[in-house]
Amino acid sequence: MSKDILKVGDQELGSRLFLGTGKFSSTQAMIDAVKASGTELVTVALRRFNRDQAEDDLYGPLSQLENVKLMPNTSGAMNAKEAVRAAMLGRELSKSPLVKLEIHPNPHHLLPDPIETYEAAIELVKQDFLVLPYIPADPVLAKRLEDIGCAAVMPLGAAIGTGKGLSTAEMIKIIIRDANVPVVVDAGLRSPSEAACALEMGCDAVLVNSAIAAAEDPAAMGAAFKTGVEAGRMAYNAGLMPTSEVAVASSPLTSFLSSDD
Amino acid sequence: MKLTVNGDEHIHQGGGSIDALLKELGAKKEHTALMVNGTVVSSEDWNSTTLNENDEIEMLVFVGGG
Repeated sequence: MSKDILKVGDQELGSRLFLGTGKFSSTQAMIDAVKASGTELVTVALRRFNRDQAEDDLYGPLSQLENVKLMPNTSGAMNAKEAVRAAMLGRELSKSPLVKLEIHPNPHHLLPDPIETYEAAIELVKQDFLVLPYIPADPVLAKRLEDIGCAAVMPLGAAIGTGKGLSTAEMIKIIIRDANVPVVVDAGLRSPSEAACALEMGCDAVLVNSAIAAAEDPAAMGAAFKTGVEAGRMAYNAGLMPTSEVAVASSPLTSFLSSDD
Repeated sequence: MKLTVNGDEHIHQGGGSIDALLKELGAKKEHTALMVNGTVVSSEDWNSTTLNENDEIEMLVFVGGG
C-alpha cells in the first residue's frame, strides 16, 4: 500500500495527528507524548525570554526530534498586525513557512476573531507563509481563506481546552465538502474516538493538545490518539457503508425453522 | 547604554551589538527571535545592527503552545 501522505502546501506529513506542546507537566512528558503519538508536526508558542525560566525554552528539546516539523502559533495576538509580527518572529526560529494563525482576543471563550484572522492571512500569504488559520467552523469563512491562499483551514470542534468534542460536526462536514485544501479540526477534542470520527468524516488531520497533555498518562494517550487517527483515516479510505432508515438483515431470513407444515 | 529589554530597563555594558546583548543576558543565539522598536530583526541582520540608547527590544523564545 502506498503511504497515505498529507500535503500542506509543499510540506509532506506522514501523520495526520498534529500535536500542541502546551500544558504538559514537564518537557520530558511532552517529548514522550510527541514520540508516542507519531506526530510529524507540533505547534509552539512564543514568549519573552526569561533567564530564570530557561527550562521552558523548547527550541533545544524539539530540535532533537527527528522528522518533526515545528509550526509556531500566533497565540497572544489580539489583532492582525500583532499576529503578522508573531508569525515573522516564529519563522525566525522555526526556519519554516508553516504558521498556525490564531487570533482570539477574548480570554473567556478564546473563540477566533474571523475578521482579524482574514486580514492577517492575506498579509501572511503575501509573505510566503503556509498559513493554517484557526477559525470558527464557518464554511463561508473557510472558503474565503482558501481563496486567498491559505494552505489549510482549521475549524474548531469546540472551544479550546473544553474537551467538548466535535460539537460543530455538521458545519465541518460542509467545510470538507467544499474545501480544496486540507481541513484540520483544531481544538475541543477529548478522546481518540472523536479524532477517529473527525477523520472518518473526511477531515484531513486533527490538532490535539489538552486531551493529551492533561491526560493521566500523556504518552499513553498520545499513542491512543495515534491509533484513533489511523483508524479513522483507514475507515474513510475504506468507504463507510450507506445508512438506511429501515433494518437490512445481515443473516438469511429463510423460514426453515417454521413449524407451519 | 540604557535599553528596554522585554519591558524592563537594562543597562548594556557593551558596544551595542546584538551578540553582546544576548551574551550579557544569557540568551542563546539560535534560540532567540528579536524585535527592535517594533521591527523584527532577522538573525541574518544581527551583525550589521547596532543598538542605540533607549531602544526597545523584545527577545522571544519558543515555549509550549497549542
